[in-house]
Amino acid sequence: MKEEFTLELEAENNFSVLNRIINILNRRRVRIKRMMAHENESDFRRGGVLMLLFTTPDMMERIKDQLEKLIEVDHVAYFSGGRHYEEKSEIVVGAE
Amino acid sequence: MPDKSNLQQMDALLTKLKENQPGTAVVRKKITGAEVLLQCLVAEKVQTIFGYPGGAIMPVYDALYHYADKLNHILVRHEQGAIHAAQGFARASGLPGVVFATSGPGATNLVTGLADALIDSTPVVCITGQVFAHLLGTDAFQETDVVNTTIPVTKWNIQVAEAKDIPAAVAKAFFIATTGRPGPVLIDITKNAQNEIIEAFDYVPCQGISTYRPKPALQFSQVDEALALIKNAKKPYILAGQGVLLSNASEALVAFSEKTGIPVACTLLGLGCFPTDHPNYVGYLGMHGNYAPNVLTNECDVLIGIGMRFDDRVTGNVQKYARQAKIIHIDIDKAEINKIIKVTTFIHADAREALVALTEKSLPAKHTEWLSKFAALSTLEYDKVIKKDIGPDGELRMAEVIHKLSEMTEGKAIVVTDVGQHQMITSRYYKMKDPRTHITSGGAGTMGFSLPAALGAKLAIPGRQVVAVIGDGGFQMTVQELGTIMQYGIPVKILVLNNNFLGMVRQWQQLFHGKRYSFTEMQNPDFVKLAGAYSIRAAKVSERKNLDLALKEMLDSKESYFLEVVVGKEDNVFPMVPGGAGISDILLEEPKAS
Repeated sequence: MKEEFTLELEAENNFSVLNRIINILNRRRVRIKRMMAHENESDFRRGGVLMLLFTTPDMMERIKDQLEKLIEVDHVAYFSGGRHYEEKSEIVVGAE
Repeated sequence: MPDKSNLQQMDALLTKLKENQPGTAVVRKKITGAEVLLQCLVAEKVQTIFGYPGGAIMPVYDALYHYADKLNHILVRHEQGAIHAAQGFARASGLPGVVFATSGPGATNLVTGLADALIDSTPVVCITGQVFAHLLGTDAFQETDVVNTTIPVTKWNIQVAEAKDIPAAVAKAFFIATTGRPGPVLIDITKNAQNEIIEAFDYVPCQGISTYRPKPALQFSQVDEALALIKNAKKPYILAGQGVLLSNASEALVAFSEKTGIPVACTLLGLGCFPTDHPNYVGYLGMHGNYAPNVLTNECDVLIGIGMRFDDRVTGNVQKYARQAKIIHIDIDKAEINKIIKVTTFIHADAREALVALTEKSLPAKHTEWLSKFAALSTLEYDKVIKKDIGPDGELRMAEVIHKLSEMTEGKAIVVTDVGQHQMITSRYYKMKDPRTHITSGGAGTMGFSLPAALGAKLAIPGRQVVAVIGDGGFQMTVQELGTIMQYGIPVKILVLNNNFLGMVRQWQQLFHGKRYSFTEMQNPDFVKLAGAYSIRAAKVSERKNLDLALKEMLDSKESYFLEVVVGKEDNVFPMVPGGAGISDILLEEPKAS
């Protein structure tokens, strides 16, 4: 059964990292409901992505493994539901 | 007392002054970005490069002119040939294969090989030229967005637009390609970066990347969990994949199997990781694999997958796969664990480390009765399939050719297969004895792979007999690489099994599509004349009585040699797991028409 998940990811802020991340989702036909990508305020060489995804728990776990495999990706976490997305995106926007 | 940062600043200043003093100054040579690249490759101990020049990589080729004593460049006939040759080189030697190509079509011609190398975990470093940085995104001549095009088919890629960034990119590329689960990487270098003149540099090989953890530490708690299952198993069974070869774990696998008495089957890419003449070897597993290992997958009580990824050609219908078994998965790539098959427990580690730990802690055991079950089913397969395959009447059959080849080379040649019936037949009938002697396109199933991969393998291991086994369809996909073989006198042997059909598709059409042979029959050229046009010695055999001598002549030749063997047009490969069927529903022969 598909449901909403909030995906949080930290990575090096290189060209094409975001494309690699999205490619993993597209290839598995995972719906991205919302997305926010940002540079880290304190260090532009690092950045992060926040996504609201709609998929199954099983697929979410596999996506996490695939994302962790990406060379520039440092940390991946996901949370059930969209509440975390709302809270985190407000923090990111607030920081800007 | 000055603080530490002041001391460092002073130290830097003094060093600078020292360099600037007349007579003591270190005069650093100025070189182009292209030469920087070549120096990096030399520093990485690269000796062989497969490539094809073009406009956007001309500065690199110009610099290469002066590096002929250090870098052996092989001019292929198509970029796809370059990357498959690099794959063959890498798979035979364990070293990374290196490829040069130009921008636009040169780079996009690499895509098939990149996809092939990614799924088959082959370390390849591709360098592509790119248009000038100021032309990026302007649809300039031969401009393609190579980085974005190759994202799904590379382990990592990068575009470099300044010469100073080349050394770090090359160092990272080699580190990433060869560590963890190996894979292809690509560096796209703009032409201005190749032309740019910078000061000579000190190359620093990459030792690590903060966000990349290629070698997981062996967790002894995981080893203990696996051991608990193995200790109580009555019918344990090992499936060995290419990960065993990649981690140089063949000896460790033999030691583990011998101590625990556990039978071993190999996947297609795992062939060669366990000696085929070992008493614990029970066969090759997969859609056209041996009968016993397929059937008994659904009877074992503990299944140990090592360095393999439960590919659909191995599992058949996953809903019917080893439901009764407790499954242990050993793999260096965490994303492979629980991807297809939910496992009971796993060891996330390098295969060799895991096997050494398991062997050390496991108790000696024998599973004689269980092994005899494999033997009984193997006898059944022999009677129903193998006996007819290797000792037939009538037309020549693919299996008897490969069986003879295996006998005549004593299983010691490196065999490089393409994709299709001949590939499955070679996997079944060529009895590999050593690691890295079986090279094929497994996950991607790339027709046209064999010929260039074989020439790459021969250049990597020149002292070993290398035989490319190819169907008539696949041969014509990269046939132009005969030119490369001719130009460099690469003594590779080419064995084409010609049935004038795209045989595997035809077999499926026969069995599952009412024998409607839709566009699979091929009218072929005179292959012997074609090889002759490339000055390659060639022969054709169509009668059984001439086969032995023809094979002997091919194998004895000190030069490249082309042998066409005309085989039965409707020769089929059995056993076979039909699409959607469970692995134990494997058919030994063609189903009777109802």
